[in-house]
Amino acid sequence: MKLLIGQILPYITVTLFTLGILYRLGRWAGARIVHNITLSPWLKSNTEVAIRIGAEAFLFRNLFRFDLALWAGALLMHFALLNILGGHVVGFGFLGEQFAFIPGISPELSKEMSDLLGTVFGILLFVALLYLLYRRVALTPVKQVSNPSDILWLVYLLVLVGVGNIMRLFHAVHVEYEMVRDYILALILFQPVMHMELLDNVFFLTHYLLVQVLLILFPFSKLMHLFGMFAERWIVNRVYKDPAPGLPNVDVAAARRAGIGLPSGGAAEEGV
Amino acid sequence: MPEYKGMVQPVRATPDEMRKIHIEPVPDEEKPQKALEYLDEIRKKFRSFVLAMESCTKCGQCAENCHTYLGTRDPNNIPTNRAELIRKIYRRYFTLEGRWFGKLVGAEDISLDIIEQWYSYFYQCSQCRRCAHVCPFGIDTCEVTFIGRQILHWLGITPKLHASVGAAMERVGNHTNLPKPGIVDTLEFMTEEIMDEFGVEVEFPVDKPESDIMYIPSSADFLLNPYTLMGAGMFFTYIGANWTIPSTVTEAGNFGLLFDQYYTQRHNVMRLLNAAQDLGVKKIVWGECGHGWRAAKMYIPSLADRPVRWPITHIHDEVADMIRKNELKLDPAKNSQPVTLHDPCNYVRACGLNENMRVIMRACVSDFREMEPHGMDNFCCGGGSGILFDDPEMYQRRIQLSQKKADQVRATGVGKNGDGILCAPCSICKAQLYPMVEEHELGVEVKGLIDLVGKALVWK
Ligand code: HEM
Ligand code: SF4
Ligand code: SF4
Ligand code: SF4
Repeated sequence: MKLLIGQILPYITVTLFTLGILYRLGRWAGARIVHNITLSPWLKSNTEVAIRIGAEAFLFRNLFRFDLALWAGALLMHFALLNILGGHVVGFGFLGEQFAFIPGISPELSKEMSDLLGTVFGILLFVALLYLLYRRVALTPVKQVSNPSDILWLVYLLVLVGVGNIMRLFHAVHVEYEMVRDYILALILFQPVMHMELLDNVFFLTHYLLVQVLLILFPFSKLMHLFGMFAERWIVNRVYKDPAPGLPNVDVAAARRAGIGLPSGGAAEEGV
Repeated sequence: MPEYKGMVQPVRATPDEMRKIHIEPVPDEEKPQKALEYLDEIRKKFRSFVLAMESCTKCGQCAENCHTYLGTRDPNNIPTNRAELIRKIYRRYFTLEGRWFGKLVGAEDISLDIIEQWYSYFYQCSQCRRCAHVCPFGIDTCEVTFIGRQILHWLGITPKLHASVGAAMERVGNHTNLPKPGIVDTLEFMTEEIMDEFGVEVEFPVDKPESDIMYIPSSADFLLNPYTLMGAGMFFTYIGANWTIPSTVTEAGNFGLLFDQYYTQRHNVMRLLNAAQDLGVKKIVWGECGHGWRAAKMYIPSLADRPVRWPITHIHDEVADMIRKNELKLDPAKNSQPVTLHDPCNYVRACGLNENMRVIMRACVSDFREMEPHGMDNFCCGGGSGILFDDPEMYQRRIQLSQKKADQVRATGVGKNGDGILCAPCSICKAQLYPMVEEHELGVEVKGLIDLVGKALVWK
């Protein structure tokens, strides 16, 4: 088990994840934008386009405009997720001392901040996922659009995040940053990792397996909306400029002076 | 066949009627296989379709934002579920996850029943794009129903209404089968009407060579909405324009957009370009028609078979421009009844006419009240994409589909004294709303926007 999950699978995971995503993006690129289906009111410059797409991607503008509860839940979930993903990278990378780069923060304080932020976002992510799951089974229209896999994904993430949170909250199964860093480093350098103490932690092994399965399935699942979102916006939010109004050979003032349309002989005087 | 296993369906064109629009119907037993072939071919072309198939998260936000779901509470009328009718087939045959996991990810085998489902639900969608407007990603279910209807059409399944409109367009150049003598007669009659009612002399030149402007009216304006055409005539006369109406294209609409973007829509475009060339015009101005304006403004550039030498604008663009430049004398007191504006979806979500309509409205009426929501957020009238079916089952559906609009109009209070005006500057909106304001007892009269301009013009 240790051999499979800790030593062999990671390489397979990375390969499938990368190839899978390239495959899906290639499929999308193969089809073309045939007609202009930009949504109006028009965006008038590339800056406006960038602002709109940015607002949709990072602030969930449309959810905010049309469903506040979903906006709050979805933004919280994604924001916490973003922080946790980022936290995994810098936390393990700098062993929790990343904040010490800010003047006035000591390495010890940085470690504490890193711990605190990780714990808080872990819990927030779990709660937000719970809310999304509640929504999916409790609100009629959302229930009506759900496939079994939509519910499964939320349950899957809850378990994955739950196991992660357990490692944070319970001292007995806690994992030190150094152990993970050394492990990842060894993987990158293609060195054997079997002797590592880290892999004896069942909670870590479970968390790690769940992550790898997620990454393998990612390119073949709804999670591809990460890229789909930008690809779709690229079609419907673009710059459009209306053709200039103005009619050829029309001089309204002259036409009115000439009284065009007014019946000749008297009627004009009555003023219609 | 107005119902199939409990689903409402529009009456279909007969095989002979299909042949008139160049389609040989596919026999029932071959339909599932052929449907897959057509789907496979078309999915490789349209990225908007591929993304609708592959990147929805099922967040459900589109549900409460589609008037068809609000009016019927039928789960298949939720935009993402409407798309799912084709997505489950797409997954099953064209994605790895669908092949591996089947029902778990919502993949399903194709069958005749599914094709019948497509026919029912793709023709309840009015292709209004409100779902695209509200979706966090911008996924456009309208693109899915365009393609769904295209595949149905190739299989030989097209509503009688759409097929007959397509055939009429090819035969005489308009949707209502009105031949040139009828056009000229009607226009002469309008000249008289304008003289009687407004006391001004307006000519409607037909096929006048060397005209500067070619005006494309909706053919419905000859019969059902005469004040829109009269308003346009008065406007062009007022500004002293050298204009004409081409007898070969007396149609602002293009039903091809709605059921056959390959032959029918393209053919109508060629017809238009030929007319512009024959008459030697400098500019083309479009009449009031929502889907037709979208088809012209957004699709002619990608469908034309030659360089398009004529700028094409909408009559609202031109009127609004002149109002901004203070060139028109308009008296809002001439339209003193309370007025509310129904924004045609195609204008505000696909053509950017949003603000121009309001410029005109403010200049022409004295008591204008916005409905909520309005502009780009508006709800469709329920008739969009030509689903103006008259058989009893579909007619009942249309009443349901217009429920949201009725609630909106009522909330403005314009009809309280029974003398309100519901301005709906699109021929399909008008055709849907004429009977619907009666069904919902709204106390309003339906009018176009150019109708109000014609009435407000001050000639001296
Ligand atoms: C820029 C990147 C992303 C954007 C703009 C985005 C946006 C969205 C939006 C608007 C929704 C619908 C709201 C909802 O159902 O909660 C959603 C759902 C979801 N997203 Fe993302 N997302 C992004 C990246 C990711 C990533 C990287 C993951 C990885 C796990 C993810 C996982 C999910 C899940 C599981 C759902 C479904 C939630 C549910 O079932 O209710 N998202 N996303
Ligand atoms: S709003 Fe968009 S992402 Fe959400 S369910 Fe509808 S189509 Fe899918
Ligand atoms: S285009 Fe309009 S009618 Fe069709 S699914 Fe979208 S919101 Fe509903
Ligand atoms: S008929 Fe009118 S309201 Fe409805 S889709 Fe067309 S433009 Fe929209």
